Amino acid sequence: MADLSAQVQEPFDLVRLSLSERVFVKLKGERSLTGVLHAYDGHMNMIMSDVEETILMVEPEESGSTVQTMKRAMEMLFVRGDSVILVSPGAR
Amino acid sequence: MSSEPPQDSSTGAVGTPADFLKGVIGKRVVVRLISGVDYQGLLSCLDGYMNIALEQTEEYVDGAVVNRYGDAFIRGNNVLYISAMESI
Amino acid sequence: MASQILPLELIDRCIGSRIWVITKTEREFAGRLLGFDDFVNMVLEDVTEFITTEEGVKKVKLQQTLLNGNNICMLVPGSNGPEDS
Repeated sequence: MADLSAQVQEPFDLVRLSLSERVFVKLKGERSLTGVLHAYDGHMNMIMSDVEETILMVEPEESGSTVQTMKRAMEMLFVRGDSVILVSPGAR
Repeated sequence: MSSEPPQDSSTGAVGTPADFLKGVIGKRVVVRLISGVDYQGLLSCLDGYMNIALEQTEEYVDGAVVNRYGDAFIRGNNVLYISAMESI
Repeated sequence: MASQILPLELIDRCIGSRIWVITKTEREFAGRLLGFDDFVNMVLEDVTEFITTEEGVKKVKLQQTLLNGNNICMLVPGSNGPEDS
């Protein structure tokens, strides 16, 4: 990891270096994923496995809004690139 | 193509987006998304779609840090702006 | 037709001057235009960002900034922003 910056010439290099690694993915609609990245393309369409999805649900109530998180697991997942906001290697 | 942005020859201005992108690499930047979320970090590189790789990334929501990422890839379609935090 | 001025030619004449940028959302920017490209991505300096919320207009100062052309709705040449008009 020490010399990662030298290997990253374009943004997609960062994603390429994360192949077969666990990544954190932030999606539109208050969703996030952690899982193993197997494939991606120029649209940032992705194939991930061993995925945990976290959905933030904000419900407006009279006494302020409450935030609930819902988690679910998927074995194998295709992610459409246009909903991807951020990809970070080394997901917790 | 006549629609190519002509350089202002009278002032010799070098302020096109391409010039900015060349100058801003390695600098500390704020990347603001359309949603209002901010990312501050060191800009390692970017491409013509404004896809961005950031190092030492801090995610800000309503002015407070909510996440830190060692490295982050940000998909360009979400980007509202890239602003330099130091002079170019 | 050919002699008609192109919209981007007008913007080209604004290089070096102040410009007001209105985006598709509740955000506006005013700054000095350094340059732009075919996508109307714009580089501004001495920028003020105006964020309109229910509480009012919040202002943020920015240094040299590249604005994504994707979200730009309108441009007002020579203006210092919403407080100008």
